[in-house]
Amino acid sequence: MSTFRKHDSSADRSSADRSRHKQKIEKAIKESIKDVVAEESIIGQDGKKKIRIPVRGIKEYRFVYGNGEQNKQAGSAGEKDVGQGDQIGRQQPKPGQGQGREGKPGNEAGEEKYEVEISLAELAEYLFADLELPDLEKKRFRFITQEKPKRKGFRLQGIRSKLSKKETLKRKIKRKNAAIASGAYNPDEDERFPFHNSDRKYIHSKPKPKENTSAVVFFLMDVSGSMGNDKKYLARSFFFLLYQFLNHQYEKIEVVFISHTTEAKEVTENDFFRRASSGGTMLSSALELANDITQKRYHPNAWNIYTFYCGDGENWPDDNSKTIDLYREMLAYNQMMCYTEIVPGKPSGVNSISFFGGDPFYGLWAETDVLTENNFKKVKITSDSDIWSSFKKLFGGKV
Amino acid sequence: MSDWSFKELEKWDKEICKVGRDLGMEWYPIEYEVIDYHEMIGAMAYVGMPTHYRHWSYGKSFERTQTMYNLGMEGLPYEMIINSNPSIAYLMKENPMSTHLLTMSHCIGHSHFFKNNRMFAETDPDNVISRFKNAAKRINKYMADPNIGVEKVEAALDSCHAIRYQIPRTPGIKRRTLAEQREDLIVRINRGDAGVDEFDLARNPIVPEQNLLLFIRDNCRNMPEWKKDILTIVERESQYFLPQAYTKIMNEGLACAGHYKIMNTLKLPQEYQLAFIKLHNQVVRPHLGRINPYHLGFHMLQEIEKRDGWSAVIEACALHNDESFLRRFLDYDICNELNLFSYSFKRQRRAHTIDSVSSKDGWKSVREALITNVGLNSVPVFKVINLGLNDALYLQHEHDGRDLDIPTANKVLNHIANLWDGDVMATTILEGELWEF
Repeated sequence: MSTFRKHDSSADRSSADRSRHKQKIEKAIKESIKDVVAEESIIGQDGKKKIRIPVRGIKEYRFVYGNGEQNKQAGSAGEKDVGQGDQIGRQQPKPGQGQGREGKPGNEAGEEKYEVEISLAELAEYLFADLELPDLEKKRFRFITQEKPKRKGFRLQGIRSKLSKKETLKRKIKRKNAAIASGAYNPDEDERFPFHNSDRKYIHSKPKPKENTSAVVFFLMDVSGSMGNDKKYLARSFFFLLYQFLNHQYEKIEVVFISHTTEAKEVTENDFFRRASSGGTMLSSALELANDITQKRYHPNAWNIYTFYCGDGENWPDDNSKTIDLYREMLAYNQMMCYTEIVPGKPSGVNSISFFGGDPFYGLWAETDVLTENNFKKVKITSDSDIWSSFKKLFGGKV
Repeated sequence: MSDWSFKELEKWDKEICKVGRDLGMEWYPIEYEVIDYHEMIGAMAYVGMPTHYRHWSYGKSFERTQTMYNLGMEGLPYEMIINSNPSIAYLMKENPMSTHLLTMSHCIGHSHFFKNNRMFAETDPDNVISRFKNAAKRINKYMADPNIGVEKVEAALDSCHAIRYQIPRTPGIKRRTLAEQREDLIVRINRGDAGVDEFDLARNPIVPEQNLLLFIRDNCRNMPEWKKDILTIVERESQYFLPQAYTKIMNEGLACAGHYKIMNTLKLPQEYQLAFIKLHNQVVRPHLGRINPYHLGFHMLQEIEKRDGWSAVIEACALHNDESFLRRFLDYDICNELNLFSYSFKRQRRAHTIDSVSSKDGWKSVREALITNVGLNSVPVFKVINLGLNDALYLQHEHDGRDLDIPTANKVLNHIANLWDGDVMATTILEGELWEF
């Protein structure tokens, strides 16, 4: 005889372990997210786009045999006719050929290919939630404000158009009732009880500041001959991060891509990163165009404006003073302007003076020293690993 | 809506038990817990134990099962039963009566197997539930202890789990302490036994030690008591589950052969009968390219019954484990009928290809391939061979022709080093040459 019973506990016994597992995954995501940032190519995508993130460190390991000829397995073929030498399953890709970036081998052997899929919005959460940016809101995000009138009670004086009929009538009724009580007015005998000037009440309104939560981001990039693919790749990663971050902060965000050589052009995201041009470099042209577009489409009173520039530091020497002047002009209305120099292969410790000093052609980094405005930033990126720290430097977090 | 009631379950249980007894089966009383699918996934995550210590890996296992179930990629097991006295088994509330009947008949086979197979003699089923409960309590206490905390306990468990199968493979053999090993050796030396020269009295261990968890526990200096306790807990759990790992094919085979016989003896109403046949065939169908233990075990036991009668089945299930069972009973005819084959990964073709099929000259190597993967045979054996200077731990992989996967072995060795808190050396053979980690 067996016994039967209903399970009496309603407690969800695995919930603690599940949340612990989740914590571990999240930690792993945070650790690998920097790599993802360097790989991702999307800027203008919406938050629903899914990204795959490799997660390490939550695999449980045991001693296992390798995948080789000595390690034979058994299986059943059911009704199928099988013979010696038949292939089962799919052929594996050649080592080194895989998704991964070109020239980069696939996952290191033994690393678990555990991937989670998260949306861009979630990615941004992970990226910025823990980023210790103490005074960020106050310093960098003075949201542009606009004043808008808001109703605030009633007053006895005012202009005709603000007359509140309802409140006026209420006052009249009050006065009438008082008159009846004191016997000054007898509704049965007297014909009517007219309005009086003192009954009038006016709607009062007061201007109230309203936060503006839209932003426009200008991404400016040098696409002249000297900007090779690896430089563009670094620029793209950096822009991606900036975009995600601002997108996280503002309700509405628009992006303008401007690529320039000696003259500037507004382009699509695709062209921005893919198309290469030859020719010289005049940064001022891009700034001019951004300035124009701002005046025409994004009035500084309504938009929070950010301008980020990526280049390799080369600029026509003649153009430098014009560039500085334009920077000055635009800094007045930009929330932040950033000048980014991409010099791959050079350790970030290299002193800019020794590197740029001798040659007048390489002067922009030093030239921009005269810009002392608080909302002007400059960073230098030499490799993938600099992106995250540069980003943090830019927004005042702990490096 | 469900088509059953507790009263009905009890009524059918009486009949099932009667048929089971008539078949010569003898089992622990069974306690069925009726649970919903969510609780079923929970029970699965914790290997069926009503109480079990906490660890994130069980949460991972839960999530995995739930995802697979929700995606419809995997059904839930319709039966789960614990080797305990009384045996605790689960019935899923959402299942129809016909499934419950099959589950109940199936559980009798398992419980009989637990009670009668000699591999299970040392599993102490009377106390296993309270043992797990106590272990869970202790580990919870360590986690709550401000001097220890979740992180440390978790790290210790992570490392223990990495070597949880590095225990002796034969149940019921007492582990000998170093002092006992010494005494033994002295007796043998005094007796003048042959071969004693191989052993060194000054070594620790004198005989290579396969129980890594306990060796580390007993020989690690400065290991706090709580950590020793965790090593003990994990080792005992592995010992408890070892017989189940080594009898998966037979155990499922007997449960299937049992439910098949019982259900066919019961006078089932028509609608149950059809549902039963459908479910039964689903359970014992071959999994293409893999070994379905239900399929293999059921067919082998059916074959034994055909040849020597039901009592031969009961006898085989008392004596054998999967390895000896396959050696004794898996012959050319069965291999051929089930169309078994062996395969392996070929580097040049970058694919798995078939090595042998169950032909007259191939079936033996198919059987060998099968045997090298039953129970813990698919887990490499590591032994402690010496405790060196400065407490360096020397491990050796017992190479049996199969090379290790080196990257994962490195990870596991890191875990061992974490537990040992000192140097760990290990050797194996890779492509015919000595490999030192």
